Amino acid sequence: MLNKYKTGLLLVILVLGAFLRLYQLGSVPPSPDWDEAALSYNGYSILHTGRDEYGAFLPVVLRSFDDYKPALYSYLTIPTTIIFGMNTFSTRLPSAVFGIVTLWIVYLLVKELFRREDLALLSAFLLAISPWHIQFSRIAFESNIGLSLNIVTAYFFIKALKKPWMLSFSAGFAALALYAYQSEKVFTPLLVLALVLIYCKELFRMPKKFLAAGIICGLLVASPMLIYLTTNKDAWLRAQATLAFADQTSFLQNQVKRIAFDREHKDYLGLVLDNRRVLFLVTGIGGYLSHYDFNWLFIKGDIDRHHAPGMGLMYLWELPFLLIGIYLLIFAKLPDSSKKSKYVLFAWFLLAPVPAAFTSEVPHAVRTLNFLPTFQIFSAWAILAVIGWVGNYRQKLNKVFSLGLILASVGYLFFALGNFVYYLDQYFVQLNYFDAEEWQYGYQQAVAYVQQVQGDYRKIVVSDSQPFDKSYIFFLFYLHYPPERYQQEEKSKAGGYATHQGFGKYEFRPIHWSQETDRSGTLYVMPYNNDNGGTLLKTIYNPDGTPAVLIVKG
Amino acid sequence: MKRSGFLLVVIILVAFLLRFWQLGVNPPSLTWDEVAWGYNAYSLGIDGKDEFGRFLPYNYLESFGDFKPPVYAYLDIIPVKIFGLNEFATRVPSAFFGVLSVIVSYFLVKRLFYNSSQKETLALFTSGILALSPWHIMLSRAAFEANVATFFIMTGVWLFLVAVEEKPWVLSLSAVSFVLSIYTFNSTRVVAPLLVIFLGLVFGKKLLRIKKYTVVAIVVGILLIAPIVGFLRSPQASLRFQEVNIFSDSSIVKTANTEIANDHNAWWSKIIHNRRVGYAESFLKHYFDNLSIQFLFIHGDGNVKFSIQDVGQMYLWELPFFIAGVIFLFKKREGYWWIVPIWLLLAIVPAATARETPHALRIESSLPTFQLLSAYGLSMALFFLCSLSKKRYMLKNLALGVIVLAIMGNFIYFLHSYVVHYPIQYSSEWQYGYKDAIAYAKTVQNDYDQIRITDELGRPYIYTLFYLKTPPQDFRKTQDVTRDVFGFVHVNGFDNYRFGSDEIDRNDPTKKLLVIEIPRKVPGNVKILKTFRLLNGDPILEAYTF
Repeated sequence: MLNKYKTGLLLVILVLGAFLRLYQLGSVPPSPDWDEAALSYNGYSILHTGRDEYGAFLPVVLRSFDDYKPALYSYLTIPTTIIFGMNTFSTRLPSAVFGIVTLWIVYLLVKELFRREDLALLSAFLLAISPWHIQFSRIAFESNIGLSLNIVTAYFFIKALKKPWMLSFSAGFAALALYAYQSEKVFTPLLVLALVLIYCKELFRMPKKFLAAGIICGLLVASPMLIYLTTNKDAWLRAQATLAFADQTSFLQNQVKRIAFDREHKDYLGLVLDNRRVLFLVTGIGGYLSHYDFNWLFIKGDIDRHHAPGMGLMYLWELPFLLIGIYLLIFAKLPDSSKKSKYVLFAWFLLAPVPAAFTSEVPHAVRTLNFLPTFQIFSAWAILAVIGWVGNYRQKLNKVFSLGLILASVGYLFFALGNFVYYLDQYFVQLNYFDAEEWQYGYQQAVAYVQQVQGDYRKIVVSDSQPFDKSYIFFLFYLHYPPERYQQEEKSKAGGYATHQGFGKYEFRPIHWSQETDRSGTLYVMPYNNDNGGTLLKTIYNPDGTPAVLIVKG
Repeated sequence: MKRSGFLLVVIILVAFLLRFWQLGVNPPSLTWDEVAWGYNAYSLGIDGKDEFGRFLPYNYLESFGDFKPPVYAYLDIIPVKIFGLNEFATRVPSAFFGVLSVIVSYFLVKRLFYNSSQKETLALFTSGILALSPWHIMLSRAAFEANVATFFIMTGVWLFLVAVEEKPWVLSLSAVSFVLSIYTFNSTRVVAPLLVIFLGLVFGKKLLRIKKYTVVAIVVGILLIAPIVGFLRSPQASLRFQEVNIFSDSSIVKTANTEIANDHNAWWSKIIHNRRVGYAESFLKHYFDNLSIQFLFIHGDGNVKFSIQDVGQMYLWELPFFIAGVIFLFKKREGYWWIVPIWLLLAIVPAATARETPHALRIESSLPTFQLLSAYGLSMALFFLCSLSKKRYMLKNLALGVIVLAIMGNFIYFLHSYVVHYPIQYSSEWQYGYKDAIAYAKTVQNDYDQIRITDELGRPYIYTLFYLKTPPQDFRKTQDVTRDVFGFVHVNGFDNYRFGSDEIDRNDPTKKLLVIEIPRKVPGNVKILKTFRLLNGDPILEAYTF
């Protein structure tokens, strides 16, 4: 029966997934954050000049805010910018499209792995409605592209076991993932390694030319990135800055005291135990394990930009199914054709948090987005099993208990449905109200106003101190400032995170009102909490009514 | 059998050593609750009255206005009589029942898994892991009434199983044990009834078969609990709960109202944003906090009284075995396996209604289920390794070596940190400083008309009573006590001691004053007589006069 309708069902799932990812894409979340704006403007810059904002020609890595973003996403915004112009929608569209296509690939992958139509469809459905996946498919975060490429890599790898020529595709996509996001530089090689180890016998049996082709293809695609990484030591800055022990002094403060104490008391055992390497190791293990946390997954998520208000990364109703699914799959007796698929799933599930393990700010929903779609596959497995049990068990019970079982199932269904409605409301209605500030709301209106009146002013000074960090990128983005002119004007400066940018009439720097000597003819744009005087021309408010941006005449 | 008896004795000895060695000096000082237990025991031992003069209080000790369940103070009477009023004696009941818990856990596990071929190994592992458990060691080494309550819960379950399996008359003892836990600790007032109801329901048929004994046990239970019911329903009993519970959090209602307004007061929005949904979510959050891996295996409770911070509530080596234990418990379904997860999950319920989570103390009555699960995984692993063919002895020995090394290494790491660094680093968390300051005051008290002790470090009166060994009759005669609207008790002074920070009239020539104050609040141009330091050398109190 399922086979008859599978195309129809898949289509329904894709349409649902597409709706959830495209509806109000440009206005929920209410505004792009600085990374989104940077990716978009750099794409715009490459489109018009072939260079990024710093003038680097066809970069593989964007310096941006000295966080050295892998550049792939910026290139993906080029076609959407050509069609729709540079705006929030076109910035986010590549991510949404990848998100939708991923649903289809997940369907194919699960079918290939477990040879079960129902499981494949349900996994794709769960991913289609997954709060976690929707969250990052609706914003221009590179992580979502990385996830898609990993799934495609795995799919072609499994396919290649039967059709070896597909191995090159797998290798190519794996290599491409390195251009997508930082986590992929750790996760993708590990995933490929796991696949190779799990299927080493099959690979061994393959004609050697396909293996060679795969390796060559992978290296070829990866080479620009590999060359960049080996020749450019700045590329590692970002990785170093996010390590949990980046700030050695505060991280080791306590340990230093202890070691000194041990030395003083000739405690040799202590010198071994209080060694900082022990602390590094425990911190890494703790960081890794912090991702297997119910609260993070089901109740509160991490920072507000990574989840809908009042929601975790998954639905609460999925929790029992997730646990049951893991349990069942551990002991599941699979047919020979898909015996090893189990190992793929568990390897994926256990490797996903590795890139985030040693970083600060754990648990981290973006760095571990690669957890998807394992959670959905586990849950889907359990849901199908439970439906089977309920069906079987019901026949063995008397009427009263049978009715009770049905009522309980219906009740749970209502709970799940309520949970889904709650999520939709939290995301599409409440998020803009509660999290606007997190999304750096207000620039769009501010730039629109400034554009109207800028003719009357000599100079426009925009604050770039917290929470207006790197405000220049928003002005470039909303003004559609010509990139060739910006590159010219910025050339003389050193650039980078520490410098205060400026272009045309615009200056970006901290505003200390009492020290502003040259106020006449100057327009000031500043965050609501900046100290100010002069004439307040306009206040831009967040959706919850709190002030966000002040525009002041000097 | 003989071998396992020997091993049990070894485990008990280890447990005893880890709980009693240096009991008086590490943790480095007594917290105010500990001091209150000690002094009330001292007071009860002298004239059968608590510090404020209530004769044989069976429902509560008023103490600081927190209305402590009284059992710990009674248990502490004999130790205080034997060893005197000091740190060691105050902590003896907790340490003693900690050792007993290790023993009971062995018998409990054998009952739980009565039909398992490995029940002997499993029982030994459980009590062994409990003996070495950072969680249980930390809570056994301070006067925590929770630790005693945990023993009663454990014993209650064990005796219940003995009764339904073999000796029905034991059922009444089980009831007594559960009721005692209610007289011992706040959280167990919820956990004990939940567990009893649960056991009663699932063993319903067996209990009906031993009808006579069941009725007796119920009567015994009701009779014993009757005296306290009145108090449990009084506002005083829930005073502390009111203070710490999540349901008084008004921000949840405010958020819900805003969310409903954002949906233009739609009917469906009133359902999904009902404040009960918000509270349920808050409850779950606090519930899951207690199951977080960070708490259980990496850092432990943020409160340093319950964890040394370098090791979790359990050892990191336990984690893989704990996970395997959970999985195989469900897979093998031996004996009364289902009691283990239900017990664990029920024991967390009361703690999840409080704001401060995770909380190692409030969920202690879940012990030894956590250790049992680790033990289950460990015994599965050993069983698997032993079943390997002889050809793979290398692998077997290697794996065994790694496991033993991990256990030893982790234990030594904990012990070293606890013995060497813990008291020095965290002495201030244990209210260190009072003892030295009061000992000094005692030596010079006759030279002064009045001695003032700051309340910046909290509840100075009880420390003064404790370290001066003031006879309770004297205290009751000269006490100056006020009780505020929240029911908290403030002792402003007794004899020539005054507590708190009321204005000091330094020009009053009739009074010669000795003041003990925290350094930050010592005024200029006074004569500092002595500085009292924490174990890390930082000054914590200073004695001065004008």
